[in-house]
Amino acid sequence: MRSRVSLFILVYTLMNVLSTVALYLLKEQRVDVYVSLNILSYYVSYAVVRPSTLSSIVRVLNAALFALFIAIVAYRVYEVLAP
Amino acid sequence: MNTSLLFLGINIVVISILLSLYGFLAGDSGLVGIAASLGLAGGVIVAYSRVPQDPATASLLSYSRTLVNAVSSALEDLDLLESAICIAKRGAELLLVYSKAPCPAKVDPGLGFAGGSPYLAIPIELPSAGGGAEALSSSTAGEPLERVLRSLLVEEFALCRGVRVDVEGESYRVYITGLAEFLKDFTRYPVDPYTVLVLSTLAQATPAECVRVVQRSYVPEGLLLIARVERSCGVG
Repeated sequence: MRSRVSLFILVYTLMNVLSTVALYLLKEQRVDVYVSLNILSYYVSYAVVRPSTLSSIVRVLNAALFALFIAIVAYRVYEVLAP
Repeated sequence: MNTSLLFLGINIVVISILLSLYGFLAGDSGLVGIAASLGLAGGVIVAYSRVPQDPATASLLSYSRTLVNAVSSALEDLDLLESAICIAKRGAELLLVYSKAPCPAKVDPGLGFAGGSPYLAIPIELPSAGGGAEALSSSTAGEPLERVLRSLLVEEFALCRGVRVDVEGESYRVYITGLAEFLKDFTRYPVDPYTVLVLSTLAQATPAECVRVVQRSYVPEGLLLIARVERSCGVG
């Protein structure tokens, strides 16, 4: 593998496919579960491969995905606390 | 930019939109979830298609090595391998000067003689980062200079993990830690990116005419650079 970015995309895609297929086979119907697992796959593959890019677009993407993940978790917590 | 990745990402996003429409129409939330996940993956791939790729870094490194070898050969021929390094300001222009004399005052870009000894002067253009290196007074320069250097070396170029600046009068002690693996080789050469960037930032951030390297020492955890700013250059 010549590029760390390519390796990162490969790892991320594989993890994403595995989690999505597993969720669909488990007959999961909640959209946010698919999205949050996707975001987790992104951060795990980012931490493992370290594509070592500090470009502004990656910083914005990281922040946006983190915000989305926090929003999903907050919504779920809110649902538990105030059903 | 990697156009193959860009097209792949856009195609994935389009497929995810179609799949989500089908999921909505069929009333299958699972399919909509898969489509959302696919769309996110497409977005990530589009974002990463705009990141500079490693092969570009490799070619840039090879190019830099060629240039550094050429400059090192020129310095060796001039017997300037153990020379003093300084930055001299000539108007808005910055010149990196290698000379046996402490810091010649009147230098022109290229090879020349000043004060009876040869010098090599390389014009430098400092990349702007973190809003640029604004002019600072020497008494308060430590913290803003650290911020500017961190913005340039850590956030913009990812050349190291940390930068710390201590100011003692006209002397600046710059500690650079966690040097990038692919640039460690350059620290063996007279022209290394860390020294060049730190000196040129100092020259631009302070009103001094001359910035001289007092000490440059490499330790396993990084680089210690002690530089002294002077109102005027030494030898005319």
